[in-house]
Amino acid sequence: MLNENEFLKRTVKIEKMLDAPIELVWDAWTIPEHIVKWWNPKGSDTHIEKHEFVVGGNWKYTMLMPDGSPFIAEGTYTEIIHHKLISSKADFKPMTQGVEIRSTFKSIGEKTEFTFYIIHPTEDYKLQQERMGIQNGWGSVFSRLDEFLTTIKL
Amino acid sequence: MRRDVFQAIADPIRREILETVSTKNLSVNEVAKHFDISRQAVSKQLKILHECGLVSIHKQGRERYYSIDPKSLIPASLWINHLQKQWEERIDSLEKYVNQLKKERNVK
Repeated sequence: MLNENEFLKRTVKIEKMLDAPIELVWDAWTIPEHIVKWWNPKGSDTHIEKHEFVVGGNWKYTMLMPDGSPFIAEGTYTEIIHHKLISSKADFKPMTQGVEIRSTFKSIGEKTEFTFYIIHPTEDYKLQQERMGIQNGWGSVFSRLDEFLTTIKL
Repeated sequence: MRRDVFQAIADPIRREILETVSTKNLSVNEVAKHFDISRQAVSKQLKILHECGLVSIHKQGRERYYSIDPKSLIPASLWINHLQKQWEERIDSLEKYVNQLKKERNVK
């Protein structure tokens, strides 16, 4: 089980039981007119520049941050098994590059068990990405930002 | 080289330096005391942080004092919140949409 362990160490996994049949979940995940509706949880400014939903096909979605600079998510599909699995190489620019994202779908009655993985090339890279978060030294840096933001509240 | 907040924080030493100047204004020598690397190396990293807009310089006599410029962190903060929570939020967002879509299709 060493390989399984190694895999989990460099992987972020999110599971969700969705209360909808697999056909619907699959459509929502794979068809651009649906993707733009949920891709950005904070709004609907997602722009789908490319969406070649075949193995070897490229996808590219952009979103604008409030300051106008873009978040770019792009990648290449590496495996697609209808109603079962989608794997893709992916970059989330500017900070995350060279990860694999994988979604699995499992029909359970009228529901769908959906699992999402972000697979980093190495454990170190995953840890580095996590460290970019609020742990380890970001505390006072971002508390300064919080202070600043409270002073400019509209 | 690109000079922006993301480049600035990509380096662990720069992140530590940023941490050091986040609570008070410090001179290069004062910052250097916190680190094993040379004063020159600290000075070079501070220069990069300054070029990236993350730290401001205040002159007092001959001495230059460095402090964090909090608003420059906004893009990184957005990104980091994003990075940490983006997928969970996104999948919650997917769930909401899927539920809505289900209702719409049932109506048809």
